[in-house]
Amino acid sequence: MNTPVNLLSAVTIMRKSTLTIAMATAIAALFSGCNSLERSRSLSNPAVTATVIAQQVCSNCHGVTGNAESPNFPNLAAQSETYFIAQLNGFKNHRRHDPAGFEYMWGLSKDLTDVQIVGLAAYYAKQKPKKISTASSDTTLVAEGKKIFAEGIAASQIPACSACHGADAQGQAAFPRLSGQHADYLVKQLMVFQRTDERPEGSVMKGIAHLLTPQNMAAVASYLEGLPSK
Amino acid sequence: MFAFVDAFPRVKLNDTATVVFVLSLAILAFMVSTPAFAVPAFNKQTGQNCVACHAGGHFPDLTPYGRLFKLTGYTIGKVAQPVSVMAVASVNKTSSTNSSDPAFDRRAGFPKDGNLIFSTASLFFAGRVTDHLGGFVQVTYNNYDRQSAADSHWTSHWSSDNLDVRLVDRYFGHDSDLIVGATMNNNPTVQDAWNSVPAWGYNVVPGSSGPAATPLIAGGLAQNVAGLGAYAFWNKTIYAELSSYRSAKGFFSFMSKGFTVDRGDKVFLKGENPYWRVAASHEWGAHNAMIGAFGLNAKVYPDAAEPIGETNHYRDTGIDAQYQYILDPHAFTMTASFIKERVNYADSVANQPHPLDPIELLGLPLTNAADTLKMFRAKASYVYHAKYGTSLSYFNITGSSNSALQTSAFDPANPGELLSGSQGVGGNLAGNPATRGWTTEVFWIPVQYARIGLQYTMFNKFNGGSNNYDGFGRNARDNNTVFLYVWGAY
Repeated sequence: MNTPVNLLSAVTIMRKSTLTIAMATAIAALFSGCNSLERSRSLSNPAVTATVIAQQVCSNCHGVTGNAESPNFPNLAAQSETYFIAQLNGFKNHRRHDPAGFEYMWGLSKDLTDVQIVGLAAYYAKQKPKKISTASSDTTLVAEGKKIFAEGIAASQIPACSACHGADAQGQAAFPRLSGQHADYLVKQLMVFQRTDERPEGSVMKGIAHLLTPQNMAAVASYLEGLPSK
Repeated sequence: MFAFVDAFPRVKLNDTATVVFVLSLAILAFMVSTPAFAVPAFNKQTGQNCVACHAGGHFPDLTPYGRLFKLTGYTIGKVAQPVSVMAVASVNKTSSTNSSDPAFDRRAGFPKDGNLIFSTASLFFAGRVTDHLGGFVQVTYNNYDRQSAADSHWTSHWSSDNLDVRLVDRYFGHDSDLIVGATMNNNPTVQDAWNSVPAWGYNVVPGSSGPAATPLIAGGLAQNVAGLGAYAFWNKTIYAELSSYRSAKGFFSFMSKGFTVDRGDKVFLKGENPYWRVAASHEWGAHNAMIGAFGLNAKVYPDAAEPIGETNHYRDTGIDAQYQYILDPHAFTMTASFIKERVNYADSVANQPHPLDPIELLGLPLTNAADTLKMFRAKASYVYHAKYGTSLSYFNITGSSNSALQTSAFDPANPGELLSGSQGVGGNLAGNPATRGWTTEVFWIPVQYARIGLQYTMFNKFNGGSNNYDGFGRNARDNNTVFLYVWGAY
């Protein structure tokens, strides 16, 4: 095996390939226009508007209207702008470091400008939430969740969720909208609060989630997932 | 197309290979000690982990987002450093490395059986170029490419590997979403976004075992052709594509570097050869599914050394389906495909004397004027926490018998006497391509850019038979293979 020669031939192949592709690219770019701000998928160009980013990039997981089909990804429609901005900034500066957050969101948010982040918050705040059709039909579980949401659990000194998140779980300022959120996402976030310090800006939830049982979490998440969209 | 997809050539580690392998391990160790968000080119571009695009981080199974990333031309993110590397080290152990064929040479037939080898490495140029243009270009180094007949010395070889360059746009309207694009690639189905197609579905790990004969569309034209096509994906639901493939020569020769007539891995097509693809996709909750069909109509010159005159005409048609359930920490992917191939041979190939009876003295049958080949493959894979996984796949190839495939045959005039042109353990007594078996695998992803896997491939049938498929008493199960690999990318 003659490594230098082999490397040389590899470099030659790559160089020729690169050259040819560069030519083809140049020709293609001439005919296509190199970039278009209206339909860009760039995440490092401050000139791309929030609406374009929401459509061309964010929609892939969160849906065009902020209603994510997969429960792996949170619904963003009608989300509180203050909360939304805090989360994107949390991803961008790595303060929020739960695995799902850094695996998906650290890179995407890295070069977003403050204007783009504010614009994205406004874009999603005005979207209309859709009711999740696959929400739990376990009426006992949902009723249990509704009670926890509205009244808390006195025995465990767990306050009512509605006190901060609103009577209809619509969210307010730094407290996120929970209505119509995917139950799986809600349970996972409650676990993050309960067991880790990966969302320090939500430290207020750590004390609250501390005594929630898995059954409590499932119940309240099932109730919230099935709330009508308003 | 009949091409023996043997396990990787096997040889004892020579000194250089040892150095390269140790260096690879050192690099891997270094990577393990670095933060987990710096990986191959696409990750550098989006900053996302492998799990964003690959189900459970299990390359090459794509998530719904991974499919959109590909179909939008790899253009999400920013222009980043575009070079990535990939390397594979492996050990292959075959159930039986013996044959009663007197012409069988074990050293040539199983030169590396049971030995750890640094088998292949690849360089990638990949990523976004502009808002509408992106792609990947892969070049692969085979550490054990050829073995000298004289002294068993191995030579390595660089060659083109998969390539897919796209020009894409995406339009949003009221309740509508339309991706339209053009692709330039060098392997039919490599441009596809689902993992049920040949290029991405099965035997993807370099060196893994599989069927002996596969349809032309399943790798028979890989890196020998240049394809240009247009596609559309509407509302993440309906996908349609029409492409045309031609020989990768002249301007397109960069797609086929290292493939030559002398090496015997060159294929030439006549003119333009159409490929089509339709698919319907649906996502509900954590589930998504696809059902589709594809086809290739290709005219291949029977002799690559003289690519003129009549051609063998291949008509490949396939149906495929995929189901996925992805909800952290679970990622489950199931694929299935059925491909039917009809080949009409050129006059120079059809109705020719039997290879073992070239002057037609023995009365052995002539070769066929046409053949059919059917391939069914299915695979299910599951990954837990993007770390621990398993997969099970099944393959079943059936087809018409053709005396052209016979490497041994009984003499009609002397019952019991075997005529043979030895093919080692790849012989075929029946002249039939039928091969059937299972591959099961367990794997571990200790860090997102490395995978360690253990595969076992079990053959129930090989080259037309379960027992004595070569005429020398070798059974299909003798080809059962254990395959251990370490696969890293950075």
